[in-house]
Amino acid sequence: MTEQLAAALAAEEAAIYAYGVIGVHLKDGDEVSRARSAELEHRARRDGLVDRLDELKASTAPAPPAYRLPFEVSDREGALKLAVHVEDGVAQAWRALLPVTEGAERLDALSFLTDSAVRATRWRRIAEVTPLTMAFPGRPS
Amino acid sequence: MVGSAALAGCGVFDREPEPAPQPDPLQPLLDESLALAAAYDRAIAAQPGLATRLTPLAEDHRAHATELARVIGTAVPSAAPSASAPASTADTVATLRKAEQAGQKTAVAVCQAAPAARAALAGSIAACRATHAEALR
Repeated sequence: MTEQLAAALAAEEAAIYAYGVIGVHLKDGDEVSRARSAELEHRARRDGLVDRLDELKASTAPAPPAYRLPFEVSDREGALKLAVHVEDGVAQAWRALLPVTEGAERLDALSFLTDSAVRATRWRRIAEVTPLTMAFPGRPS
Repeated sequence: MVGSAALAGCGVFDREPEPAPQPDPLQPLLDESLALAAAYDRAIAAQPGLATRLTPLAEDHRAHATELARVIGTAVPSAAPSASAPASTADTVATLRKAEQAGQKTAVAVCQAAPAARAALAGSIAACRATHAEALR
C-alpha cells in the first residue's frame, strides 16, 4: 500500500503545483474561487497522505517530480485543460488505492476519487469540453 | 426399510450439498446500470432535444453493464424494456439526477464490501454516477 500512497502523494503534489499555475490564467471570479478551493482540498489530502506515510514509517523520498507541467499553459483554455488533466491524474492515483485498502480507508480513497472525478466534470463544463463524463473515472487510459 | 433409509440419506444430502446459487454481489449493480440506461432512453424518446446531453451518460451505463457482465461471467440481458414503457412515465432530468445519486450509494456499498480484485471497478462506477449527477445539474 505504501507504493500507492506515495503515488497519490505525488499526484496531489502535482495538483497543488498545477493549481498555482491555473489560478494565474483565470480571470473570472467564480473560476478563480473554484481553482482556489480545489487547491485547498488537494493540500488537505496531501497533508493526510504525509501523516499516513509517517504512521507507516515509510520513507517518502525520493521527492516526486511534481513541478513539471504536462504541457505549457499560457491562457485560460490551457489552464482549464490542465485542471481537467490533474483531476484525472489524481483520480487515477486514488483508484489504485481501492484494491489495497479496506473499511474506512477504502471509503476515503473512493471519496477522493469521486471528488476529483466530479471536479474534472465541472472543469469540462466550464471549458465546454464534451463529453463531460467518462465511464470509468480513474481507470488508466 | 433399506429403501427408506436410503431415501432418508438422500433427504439429508438434498438439504445440504447444493444450496441455491447466491446472486453475484455485482448483479444489483448490473441491473441498476441497465435500468439507468433504460431511464435515459425513455427521457430521450420523450424529449429528443435532450439527446445530445443524455446519450453519452446512457452510453456510460451500458459500458458499466458490459464490464460488470464480463466480470460476473454472465451475458448482458438484451433489449432493455425501454421502448415499451409509456411516454408519460418518462424521467425528467431531475428524476434522472435522483436516480444517479441513489445509484452512487449502491455502488459505494458494493465497493466497500468488494474483494480487492473488484474494488476498483465498483469504485469507478460509483464515481461515474456521481459525475452524472453533476452533469445533470
